[in-house]
Amino acid sequence: MSSSTQSGTEGAGTGGYRPPRPLIKLIIAIVAVLVVSNVVTGLAVYYASLPPVSGAKVVTVVGPWAGNEKDAFLPVMDQFARTTGISYTFTTTRQEDLQTSLPNQFAAGQSPADLIFMPSAFIKTYAGQGYVTSLTGTIGPSTYQPGALDQVTANSAIWGGAYTGKVKPGFWYRVSFFQAHGLTPPTTWSQFTTLLASLKGITGVKNPIISGDGVGWPLSDVTEHFIATYGGASMHQALTAKTLSWTDTSVHDLFATYLVPTLQAGDWSEPITWDSPGVNLFWNGTYPLYFMGSWITGMVSDPSDLGVFSLPGGVANQGIVFAADYFFVPKFAAHPVEAKRLAAFFASAAAQTTQVRQGGHIATAAGVSITAYPSVDARVAGLLTGKTVLPDLDDTIGGTFQTTFWSQLQLLWSDPTKLDSVLSTIQAAT
Amino acid sequence: MPAAILLLLLVFYPIATTIILSFFSGSSFVGLGNYGAILQDPATLNPNGLSGGPPYGTLVNNLLWIVIHLPLSLFTGLVLAVLLQRVRGASIIKSFIFLGMVTPLIVIGVLLGFTIEAPVGFVPAFFGSIGLPSLDVNWIAHPTTLLFGLILGSVWSWTGFSTIIYSAGLTTIPKDYFEAARVDGASEWHIFTRITWPLLRPVTLVIVTMSLLWELKLFDIILGATNAGGGVGGAADVLALQMYRYAFVALPPESNKAAAVACMLLLFTTLVAGFLFRRLLTGDAPKPRAARRLATSTRAGE
Repeated sequence: MSSSTQSGTEGAGTGGYRPPRPLIKLIIAIVAVLVVSNVVTGLAVYYASLPPVSGAKVVTVVGPWAGNEKDAFLPVMDQFARTTGISYTFTTTRQEDLQTSLPNQFAAGQSPADLIFMPSAFIKTYAGQGYVTSLTGTIGPSTYQPGALDQVTANSAIWGGAYTGKVKPGFWYRVSFFQAHGLTPPTTWSQFTTLLASLKGITGVKNPIISGDGVGWPLSDVTEHFIATYGGASMHQALTAKTLSWTDTSVHDLFATYLVPTLQAGDWSEPITWDSPGVNLFWNGTYPLYFMGSWITGMVSDPSDLGVFSLPGGVANQGIVFAADYFFVPKFAAHPVEAKRLAAFFASAAAQTTQVRQGGHIATAAGVSITAYPSVDARVAGLLTGKTVLPDLDDTIGGTFQTTFWSQLQLLWSDPTKLDSVLSTIQAAT
Repeated sequence: MPAAILLLLLVFYPIATTIILSFFSGSSFVGLGNYGAILQDPATLNPNGLSGGPPYGTLVNNLLWIVIHLPLSLFTGLVLAVLLQRVRGASIIKSFIFLGMVTPLIVIGVLLGFTIEAPVGFVPAFFGSIGLPSLDVNWIAHPTTLLFGLILGSVWSWTGFSTIIYSAGLTTIPKDYFEAARVDGASEWHIFTRITWPLLRPVTLVIVTMSLLWELKLFDIILGATNAGGGVGGAADVLALQMYRYAFVALPPESNKAAAVACMLLLFTTLVAGFLFRRLLTGDAPKPRAARRLATSTRAGE
């Protein structure tokens, strides 16, 4: 018998026997630890989120760029700091992660930064819920290319700004590779299929086209290019506006006539991670064609060896996807005045000129000189001539449509015979 | 009392709120409407999957995890525990095996993604090197290889749990039983099937239940290895990921549907947990024949 039990018995006296109750003490200790840790955490978060008391001006920015892309962006921020005297901090965060964390932070009355880069669908959705500061009066259509702010305009107010963007012009190839094998860019669909057949016959070529993949979006870019070329700008716009069904005969026929046969013919590689692995395999000739956005020019060792062609043929009024990077100022920004100044700066020709000089970007602001672009980007800009500029379809719709669109296209690449179910599932997600 | 307050605040209140939320759409009461919509969604149960292969839908995928992953990790753990029973330095080996349990699941998911993705992963390369070109493909890019690659590839991470629990269970079996059986001329196989396995039944029950609960709320591995859509065509999608999409990916968030999926998961896990508690509270493991014989002879000796 333990001593504690003995003492309990002896000390019973008139009060009667009371057994030891160590569990109560344990619970009290746990509660105390919980209370203390929560108070400490709460105070820490509170004081950490307070704006600085000194007069030092600082603006915090969250964007998706890392590595080379971040290096190309920071000169713009440096220019802002020099001209305004406002210092900055820049944090890289993936937009997929922000999509899950920002709503909770907004609901708690907080924001991780003063200015955040997010897709237009997100900005418009949360503007409707009162979490976005209006930029009407700060920036306006007059300083932009026509239509640049359409995706972030709602109820006659401007809720975000368009920064520079990237064009998704078509298939990139190495000029030296084409010259070495006597190949030329196609101008008709027939020439395109002939080119694919020729590429298959070259030693060392595994498939003519590499299918860049990740979470699914490079495949969606390819698909949008097929739609905008063979269905035209109007079909792309109707699908984006959800006024045309993905199961409509016209959409089905487009897939069945152009994209699916090339998938079934083995013209495309299996989906491969789009960045370093994909670019390296393209550059070394394992897959000589790569459908990618204009940012590829900043990812290869010799951009001057890059050539690009859009899908040949197609309908009269074709479109080309231009994906701008959009930003907004959250309602709970700690430095709203400085954030608005930065927003106005990002919308200016001066800031966007600095950005396009780095390569891979196309300006949305009016007044950016063509001489500011590297030569390869000037060629890309040339592909825009005569075509309707379209917003990225899945970025514009956003939400679960985007994840469904991506995963269903991955399925189509894996099994092209599932076209009907793929289109039905995409339509169900709209 | 403090515990009761904590339970009310941190457990019962959120559960009640979630259940109520699942019966609404915005501010309108829709009864079981959200549940009906979810169950009719091909993402939950894909009727074409039964004839055409994956994607099968989240319900079937969770079931497949249970049917394939659970027995594999359970028996791998049992075999390892028995084999390591009399090995010198077994604790070090068990520690390495247990590493899979202490590694964050999201990390395991990312690692798995790398190992089965061509051209960087060693799994496709291995099958290519042994002359199986049909498996020398990018496993991430095809529904069947993705789903079964993740299920089979994650067995190692959960094996540590069953190994440790079975090892602890083995130490509780009196050595007398084994000695008596050997004196009676029982083979090692008979000793295992008649003594070891029956006496490990309560331990097995715990492992099965914990594994079931883990496989029902599976999330991190899939998200780490694929994306919020569950990979190619949603082939690796599971209920918890579906709930995540409704809550955090949808624009605007579909909180009511997310709550409905959460309630479905709660129901499933409650059923499993209820089964465990009932068996643990009311059911004793049957004594093996050898043990009964030993007990009988001991009483006779008295």
